[in-house]
Parts: sequence; C-alpha cells; structure tokens
Amino acid sequence: MRAAALDTLAVAKRFGEKTALYDLTMTVGRGEAFGFLGPNGAGKTTAVKIFLGLVRPTSGACEVLGAPLGDREARRKIGYLPELFRYQGWLTSAEVLGLHADLLGLPRAGRAAAIADTLELVGLGARAADRVETYSKGMQQRLGLGVALLGEPDLVFLDEPTSALDPVGRNDVRVIVESLKARGATVFLNSHLLTEVERVCDRVAVVDKGRVVASGSIDEMLGATTSVRLHLSGVDAGAIATLRSFGKLEIDAPWFVVSGIGDDAVPGLVRRLVADGAEIHAVEPSRATLEERFLQLLKVPDAAVIDDRVSHPA
Amino acid sequence: MPPLLTIAFLTLREATRRRVLWFLGGASLIAIGLSTWGFAKLAGSTSEPAALVAIESVLVVLLAYAFSVLLAIAAAFLASSAIAADVDSGIALALLPRPFSRAEYVLGKWLGLAVLMVAFAFVVGGLEFASIGLVAGYQPPHPFGALTYLSAEALTLLTLALLASTRLPAIAGGIAVVAAFGASWIAGIVGSIAGALQREDVQHGATAVGLLLPTDGLWRGAAFELQPVALLLAQEANQNARAQNPFASTAPPPEAFLLWSFCWMIAVLAVACYSFTRREI
Repeated sequence: MRAAALDTLAVAKRFGEKTALYDLTMTVGRGEAFGFLGPNGAGKTTAVKIFLGLVRPTSGACEVLGAPLGDREARRKIGYLPELFRYQGWLTSAEVLGLHADLLGLPRAGRAAAIADTLELVGLGARAADRVETYSKGMQQRLGLGVALLGEPDLVFLDEPTSALDPVGRNDVRVIVESLKARGATVFLNSHLLTEVERVCDRVAVVDKGRVVASGSIDEMLGATTSVRLHLSGVDAGAIATLRSFGKLEIDAPWFVVSGIGDDAVPGLVRRLVADGAEIHAVEPSRATLEERFLQLLKVPDAAVIDDRVSHPA
Repeated sequence: MPPLLTIAFLTLREATRRRVLWFLGGASLIAIGLSTWGFAKLAGSTSEPAALVAIESVLVVLLAYAFSVLLAIAAAFLASSAIAADVDSGIALALLPRPFSRAEYVLGKWLGLAVLMVAFAFVVGGLEFASIGLVAGYQPPHPFGALTYLSAEALTLLTLALLASTRLPAIAGGIAVVAAFGASWIAGIVGSIAGALQREDVQHGATAVGLLLPTDGLWRGAAFELQPVALLLAQEANQNARAQNPFASTAPPPEAFLLWSFCWMIAVLAVACYSFTRREI
C-alpha cells in the first residue's frame, strides 16, 4: 500500500517564545484535495513550510510522500505555489519554467512542449516570451501556479492560490485542482476563500492559534440539514411547542426557523405541524456553509448556530 | 546539469540581464580611457626614461589599487545581495523546495559570482595594462600574477559577503564587508609602521587582523608583481619609506600565507553553506 501523501504526528514549531504550531497531527491521503483553513496567523503557512523543508519542526514527526522531511526524491514530486509568490523578474515566464525544469531534472526531450503546455494551462501561453517584471500580480500568480504544476507532481501545495486572481482566474484554479485530482495527484490547499474550498476539497482541517480545532470531510464538517425555514399560518401554541421540540426556534412571522434539525427529521416535523392544524406554505431546508462552520469553530460572535458532528481533537 | 551549475548559470545570467556587468564594464571603460589618456600625456612630457619608468610604475600600482577597491566593493555588494535578496523578495520560497541542497545553492551562487569577478578582473585589468603598454610603452613586470592576486582578493571578499548574505540583509552585509576590507588595509599600514618602530605587540595585532581577513596581504602580492626590479631595490634601500607605504611590497606573500588564504576561503564557504542550511526561510 502506498504511504499517505502527508502524515504528521504531534508536529510543533516554536519561534523563540512564540509557538506557531502545537501538536499538529493529521493524514492526507493520496489523490485527495485537502483544505487547510484558518485565520491569519493560525500557523497554516508555517505548517506548509515545515512540509517543504523550509522550516524545521521543533518536535514531532512528519512524512511527505512516505519519505522523511527534506528527502530529495520526494521533493522531486512536490509542487509549491507560495503565498508570497515572486519569480525572477529578469527572466521570461518560459525561462522561469525552464529553470525549474532544470532543478527538477526533467528530461530534455519533451521539455519545451511541457513548458508550453503548462503556460497554456495557466493562461500565459501568449506571454511566454515576456519578462516576468512586466506581468501583473495576477499573471505572476498564474506563473507560480505553472511552476507548481511543472513535472506532474504527486503532491501540490497551493498557499492562497487565488489571492491575486479575478473571478475567471479563480475558476481556472478550480478547474486545475479538479484536473489534478482526476490524475490522482494530491492537492493541499491553504485558503481563506471558503466557498472555493467547499467546492473543490474532499476534506478539510481548521487550524486556529497553531492547533487543529476540527477536521473531517466536507459533509462531516457541515453536517446534514442544520436548519429549516418554514412559511406557516394558523400556528397555535401547540404548533409552537412542536417547532421548539425539533430545535432552536426563531420567529419572524410568517416565517419560522428551526436550527439544529437533521435531514431525516424534516418530514416528521411537517407531519406534526399538519396534525397541529398549521397551514404550510413553504419548507426550505438549509445547510450551514463552510464559512458559517468556520466562524463557529473559531468562536466568532454571532456565527450561525449549527450542530456539532465533526471530530474535535482532544 | 547539476543543480549547482544551474544556480551558477542563473547567477551569471542575472548579472548580465540586470545590467550589473554593463554598468561595471562601462564605468571601467571610462576609467581605462582616462588613465590611458593620462599615460599618453605623461609619456610625452619628459625625455628622461628612468624617471618616466619610475613614475609610470608607481602610477600603475596606484591604478591597480583603485581597481582593487572597485573589485572589492563590487564583490562585497554583489555577493551580499546574492542570497539575501532572494530570501527577502520571496524568490527563494519557490526555489529552495526543489530537489537540491542549500549547500548546492550557496556554492552555485559562489561559483557564478566567482566566474564573474575573475573574468571582470582579467578582462578589465588586461585591457588597462594593454592600453598603457600601447600608448606609453610601459609594461609592469608580472601583470598576470598581479591580476591573479587581485582576483584572489575579490574572491576573498566575495566569500565573506556570501556568508553575510546567508543571514544579513543585503545592504548591511555589503557595508560590513567593505568596512572589514578597510580594516584589513588599515591593519596592514599599522603593521608596517609598527615594524619600522619595532613595536612587536602592535605588529602582532595587525598581523592577526590581516589573517582574519587576508585581503591586504593579497593586495601586497599584487603590488609586488607590478613593481619593476629597480623600484624594489630602491625600496629595499629605504626601509622606512617601504614600511609606511601601503602601495609597496618588497617580497611576495609567503607560501604559508597563500595556503592560509586558500584554507580561509574554503572554511568561510563551508560556514556559509552551514549557515544557510540552518536558516529557516
């Protein structure tokens, strides 16, 4: 059986008195798109730098593609788009990719085609011969994406890959992540843009103040239906009691919102309301978004109240 | 191609693309033009050949000294930004995760800059000596030896600046290395004066500084290679004048000093590799 793409055990990192990461334990399987979420300063980039050998962990164990940190052969199969993306402005984008192809040891045969294809994939085909210093920030981020994808890596770390991109660029990134998953590559995505993570990632971990506060699949993180909004008339005290018995009730007549209700409980609620004599005009089940779940996990005031089905590390 | 060579070629390409070479080359050509014009004027100003050779030989040593300062400053500032600029700008973030060691990165940078500095020293220095020979008919006795010493001096500073670059911001590293170069030169003068005054304690201190950064000793080697025999004999006869003259040397550097200089460079380069390997980016 192939080793996991990423396997960490109690990884910690201290910078002097400040602790950036506590006890980071997680596994990312091969072929997964894994979202690593957290607010600014949560330790996400420090974690990625540890995985890439740019920063040494203070304690703990970590394997990347089944090899110890810094292993040269494993690094040959890793692509990385840093959050701070800067490339040699005095080179053209084709030359930047040529440099990375040299460092990766890609065979000469077919290299030019691989570089051209990669630039085309990230939307820079027409600017391949222009110096990077003439590029906009978004184009430089596209180039960084191309550098990360060069050589068909098995594991790609994307740190805030859409921070400088317009909506078209964001869509392109989504397509690229999907295509990486389709060919079996693992994608490790650091991002603040939770809607994107929700759309492309299979699993996520939420990190705050250097600790993983929750992890699981997107479904596990969001749970089943977590609230239902009903448009009712003829509601009496009995119907109100019924509504309250299914979850936390908020009333904005004629709308009634029951939070913390599961998918399978909605038909039962409807039956009970009908039996109570209420007239039902509309039923709108809804699920918390990843953003709401994220805010709740970070204990942001006024975050949506949703049920708690996600694994929490002790 | 091994990653070390890839980094070396990248460093050379950066120097060419960013016009560092063109700037240095242009400034040097202007200096060569002016000095050649001066030598041409000098050659026509006196009919006493011995006096003319004496003046020309001193001027060539002074020119070589000015050139050594230019080389020193260029080496210090090019090398002090070589790694620091990549780290500060974020370029290193994309490069360093690639499958090569930090030591290969440092050695590649060193190799690229070393080729650049040695080529610059020999091309510009050779052009200067050739143009002086052409217009004034004067040739220093060992121009190749002198340029070799000047190159070694530049490589010494380049290595120290590269070490600084693994930890310090570019400007801070450059200033520190130029200051160290100045200190080594002053120590050489102080040592000479102390020798003339027979103050052994001061002389030992100056020698120690000269060994900590062996640039002044290498410069003395270049000066020795440029001085004609007649000038050397005149200096031998006047010990006091020689002792206080930082532009003169009556003997080549001892072999032990050259060996020390070589080992010093290897050791500093090894420390630079270790320092960058331990650095967190």
